Amino acid sequence: MSRFLEVVVAAATLLAIPAAAHAQDATAGEKVFAKCKACHMVGDSARNRIGPHLNELFGRTAGTIEGFNYSKAMKEAGASGLVWDEETLGHFLANPRASVKGTRMAFPGLKDEGDVSDLTAYLKRFSKQADTAPAEEASAPVVEPEARAEGKAPTPEEKTAIVRPIPTHGVLHLGRPATEQEITAWDIDVRPDGLGLPEGSGTVMEGEPLYTERCASCHGDFGEAIGRWPVLAGGFDTLTRERPVKTIGSYWPYLSTVYDYIRRAMPFGDARSLTDDEVYALTAYVLYLNDVVTDQEFELSKENFTSIELPNEDGFVVDDRLSEPHYAEAADPCMRNCKPGKAKITMHAAVLDVTPEDGNEDEASGGSID
Amino acid sequence: MTEMKSSRRSFLKGGLTAGAAAAAAAVSGRAMAEGDPAITEVQDWNRYLGDGVDARPYGHPSQYESHVVRQDVPWLTADPISSVNFTPLHELDGIITPNGLCFERHHAGIADIDPAQHRLMINGLVETPLVFTMGDLMRFPRENHVYFLECAANSGMEWRGAQLNGCQYTHGMVHCVMYTGVRLKHLLREAGVKESAKWLLAEGADASAMTRSLPLEKGLEDCLVAWKMNGEALRPEQGYPLRLVLPGWEGNMWVKWLRRIEVGDKPWHQREETSKYTDLLANGKARRFTWVMDVKSVITSPSPQAPITHGKGRAVLTGLAWSGNGAISRVDVSLDGGRNWTTARLDGPSFSKALHRFYHEFDWDGSELFLQSRAIDEKGFVQPTKNELRAARGENSIYHNNGIQTWHVAKDGAVENVEIS
Ligand code: HEC
Ligand code: HEC
Repeated sequence: MSRFLEVVVAAATLLAIPAAAHAQDATAGEKVFAKCKACHMVGDSARNRIGPHLNELFGRTAGTIEGFNYSKAMKEAGASGLVWDEETLGHFLANPRASVKGTRMAFPGLKDEGDVSDLTAYLKRFSKQADTAPAEEASAPVVEPEARAEGKAPTPEEKTAIVRPIPTHGVLHLGRPATEQEITAWDIDVRPDGLGLPEGSGTVMEGEPLYTERCASCHGDFGEAIGRWPVLAGGFDTLTRERPVKTIGSYWPYLSTVYDYIRRAMPFGDARSLTDDEVYALTAYVLYLNDVVTDQEFELSKENFTSIELPNEDGFVVDDRLSEPHYAEAADPCMRNCKPGKAKITMHAAVLDVTPEDGNEDEASGGSID
Repeated sequence: MTEMKSSRRSFLKGGLTAGAAAAAAAVSGRAMAEGDPAITEVQDWNRYLGDGVDARPYGHPSQYESHVVRQDVPWLTADPISSVNFTPLHELDGIITPNGLCFERHHAGIADIDPAQHRLMINGLVETPLVFTMGDLMRFPRENHVYFLECAANSGMEWRGAQLNGCQYTHGMVHCVMYTGVRLKHLLREAGVKESAKWLLAEGADASAMTRSLPLEKGLEDCLVAWKMNGEALRPEQGYPLRLVLPGWEGNMWVKWLRRIEVGDKPWHQREETSKYTDLLANGKARRFTWVMDVKSVITSPSPQAPITHGKGRAVLTGLAWSGNGAISRVDVSLDGGRNWTTARLDGPSFSKALHRFYHEFDWDGSELFLQSRAIDEKGFVQPTKNELRAARGENSIYHNNGIQTWHVAKDGAVENVEIS
């Protein structure tokens, strides 16, 4: 007998007495099941959700629902003989993580033994083989279809609902078609030509309080940035200077990037919390901070979006590194007497004194990583 | 500042001398006659039992290696959540980076993803938009490849001159591991890419929802969707459970926590390919879509964090070379600041678009040295000097600094990052 079963059986014996003293109540169990519903389904049209569906649970070898991605721990427990019945389930539900170490089921456990037994009674309704006999040492983990039925047998629809149709796409027929809702949920990117912009609009005036509340603490009231958080506005005509200030107004080529980025990633730490209209309003406000629009009444919408051009749209060129002399000439490198005189130090890293080891946390006097 | 410098110097010297002196004293006194106590005395580890096999279910390096860690530079970024740390190159050898030492760069912290809840979607210009679970992906034919990943901003702090004292900081945004995964082209074929498709958008599942556009040809050529590094699951900080692998191209594009590939006919111009990862030139124009990482090398030892501690005599110089164009064909090293060069010895496997290890053994006469290395790749590209790059681009590029690095070795063996004439 596996080590796991020994533990389960031992624990089950302990549990058995109080559990037996409690009259099982499936209706009360249905209420207890509310705690499981976030992750599990039973009954007609039950599917795998965060957890596997719990139809035909009694007699099921742990970790064996096809297509569900179990933890290694659950699969191993099944492989070493764990079959779900009243005892094993009671033990598992009392403390899932202690009973199957490494299970992915993020549920602390049912503390009340009465709850456990009511719930078991309820779950039995969805199993043909609702067997109350304790786990037998030699019992093979085979589900007998004609097992003593107690409670309701699943209808044919219930069975088919959990069988995946065989896909016909592609070459290997792997994966499944994405639904419209799934694509809408994730595909939120916007292109410079406006493709991907959602319906909606927002004005500079609507953007201002939003910005103050949700953005200014890092980016500053005027987009000037607090500390080393990114600067969002200003920096005009600085791109050829020693310290260029690259902002939406001074550097970014397209407005679509502003909308797209705020919608997917801002505010930092609370991404995806803004409505589409709010993103329009904030984008309008950032344009205002950058003097690209000057009218506080200005309304940015899906309709007028692509008519807005950012000042530095023409500031970008293709990658022409290979035309640089050191690459283009592709000369054989010099090996002997390549430079006159002895090497002389013209600059020490220590002079800039920014080596982290030195414990100097001043701002960089040199470059940055972005 | 001088105080800082001298304290650093004395720290280094202290480090060398304390240990060395103690050992030397022990050997020279009693030991000269009786022998080295490391040999003549029975050591604890030779007498008492060590931990059993149940003590370390997941092994860790020796306690004596606890200094071999990734380091960050707090002042570089506003917040450690969107920041970077650096691989301790000076402590490593061979070409493979251990998983726990691969540098990290994330934009919204390390996403903690349950692989059972992870999905990869392919949508856009395809016949059938698809969703894959991790289980689905593992049913595709798998491949194993060793590739380097270098952040485009590696050495970015050095454009205006020598800044950071240590190859961990100047060059540590690179790592090299073996990836296991499926070719992106198999996944795309499954969805059926439409005729008009030209571009792909890769998207991450983390709170930055990182996105990058890449040309479809690259996706069909050698791109992988990987879930293993060096044989084990990707580390969370490297994109667990799934990341994109774009051999030879800048690290930012290797989208971690990969959840979606969209197929389109134009690039998206996302924030990470407009505001960032564009290379500003001296004339105020910026290059965009600078994807390939150019030929590059660095001497990892001796280097500022790995000074010469043994005095005159036989010394081993070693370093790393890599190129996004393919394999490295040759590395030259100079001890006199680029006046004279010798071809170094490449050792270990040579994989295309992977790190290459080079060595140069020499007798040190105790005089000052100016160490440089210069890599040449299989396409014939020669690593340029920093001044050649500055002449062509100015100093505001941030990205793609692959210039030749100089380390100054002082007579006492201390090493410093310098610029020379
Ligand atoms: C937060 C989500 C969550 C909640 C709440 C939850 N479960 Fe689970 N459950 C899971 C997951 C995930 C698994 C798969 C575990 C694994 O693979 O380690 C699982 C597995 C199981 C299994 C094993 C099934 C099999 O096929 O082997 C049973 C039985 C089970 N849960 C019952 C319950 C019951 C009863 C409740 C309510 C008291 C409950 N769970 C609450 C997520 C949850
Ligand atoms: C807690 C601080 C914080 C708050 C609040 C915040 N941001 Fe940000 N923002 C950041 C950080 C950090 C980055 C850079 C992230 C990275 O490294 O990828 C950023 C980047 C940006 C950028 C891109 C800047 C560039 O130059 O590339 C824009 C635009 C932006 N934020 C807009 C907003 C807007 C609009 C809001 C309010 C809805 C907001 N942010 C709220 C911290 C913040």
